[in-house]
Amino acid sequence: MKNLLKIFAAITLVWATNSFAHNVNKQCDVAKLGIDKVVGYAKVHNKEAKAKGVEFRRLNVNNTDLIKAVEDAVANGEKTVQPMHFKGKDKSKTKLDVNYAAQRACHFAITSLTQAKEAQKTYKLSIPGDGYKF
Amino acid sequence: MLSKMIKLFMVLTIFAVVSNAGKYDKQAEKDRKALVKYFEAKFEDPEKNRNQFFPYSTDKELKENITKGLKHHDFAIGNYAFSKQGKVQYDEIKEMPPYEEFIEKGEDIYKNSEALKKCFPDTKIGGNYPYFDDKTGKVVTLSVAINDCVVKAGEEKLNLKKGKITHIEAYFADQTKQADKNMDIKINSKKAQQAYERGKKYYYSQRGYLKLSCASCHVQGAGQRVRNESLSQLLGHATHFPVYRLKWGAKSKTSDGLGTLERRMEGCIKDEGQVPPKADSKEMRELLYFMAYMSNGMKIDGPDIRK
Repeated sequence: MKNLLKIFAAITLVWATNSFAHNVNKQCDVAKLGIDKVVGYAKVHNKEAKAKGVEFRRLNVNNTDLIKAVEDAVANGEKTVQPMHFKGKDKSKTKLDVNYAAQRACHFAITSLTQAKEAQKTYKLSIPGDGYKF
Repeated sequence: MLSKMIKLFMVLTIFAVVSNAGKYDKQAEKDRKALVKYFEAKFEDPEKNRNQFFPYSTDKELKENITKGLKHHDFAIGNYAFSKQGKVQYDEIKEMPPYEEFIEKGEDIYKNSEALKKCFPDTKIGGNYPYFDDKTGKVVTLSVAINDCVVKAGEEKLNLKKGKITHIEAYFADQTKQADKNMDIKINSKKAQQAYERGKKYYYSQRGYLKLSCASCHVQGAGQRVRNESLSQLLGHATHFPVYRLKWGAKSKTSDGLGTLERRMEGCIKDEGQVPPKADSKEMRELLYFMAYMSNGMKIDGPDIRK
């Protein structure tokens, strides 16, 4: 019975993870929705992520700067972006195709929020003496 | 009759207050003891318990590089507690520690500052921070307390991560170490307990684009390798700050590689793939409060060196 419950829990988790990934991919699909809409989603969600203190940073680039770089590239008709380093003085070493950058910014913005929500329930699973058994 | 009832009521009230006095740290104590038990079990015999605790380590690593049979207080020196190779290098560097001159600098700063002497008449306070200030409802870290003190005296605001503040903290840590004092963090109120719980939640929550929690590396991952470095354990993390990191020293023009715990945590959170909270933010203060509580009862041995 216990094993059955474990299998059921594992299937639910895999299903939930897959459906979440599917939804994010749909919401951040530049080819289908167009770059403006995807950047719009990224902006809205990233603003919330920033306010909650969960904004993503990858290779010294804050997601805010990635979004800004995409907006600038779209406005100037450029095909690649090179966002600012988080310190704000120089550009980072990151160079990306503008469509890919928009998709990543959108993905990062949404994932940071869903992940934070998920952590409200899952954090106890790694505490020795609480949810983490050894 | 009425006076008897009043007396009885007063006795009951006093009893309730006294019996509740230690209540606020009940969960924290439970967490701390469970953490000690976990690390002692993990390092009892890594080779024997490899399936549970070290599934990715090689036979050679477990046989030749990890010390077994470690007990609570052995964990005070970070990954040098279990990493045999690391411990050899650590002992060599400790023969001529690069932080000595900064302890002296800190002592000079302290002795020439009326404000610091007034705010911190006792210099053996390394084990008493962070504490929860019930008046402001905030956690006060040593860095925040030092900075508030100098700012109130009309002096320039300090960088909470490196420079002058680390010299002062190094002096305090050294004084505390010489007085043979232990980490002694208190949770004395409901609000302090809530701050501790938020800090704990922050520590154990997965974050950043890598979806790692602090615990992924420093609880479940402790003892395993990232490239050529062994990951250190949460237990004892707060006892030896400020630390002189060789990496920070190499970057500094004056070879000043000292950094506060806030600086180290910013780096860790950045490595998880998230924008870290500011050094004096509520999140950072509460995170350090939780971390320090986990090291309660362990000897203060700062400043120290790390790679």
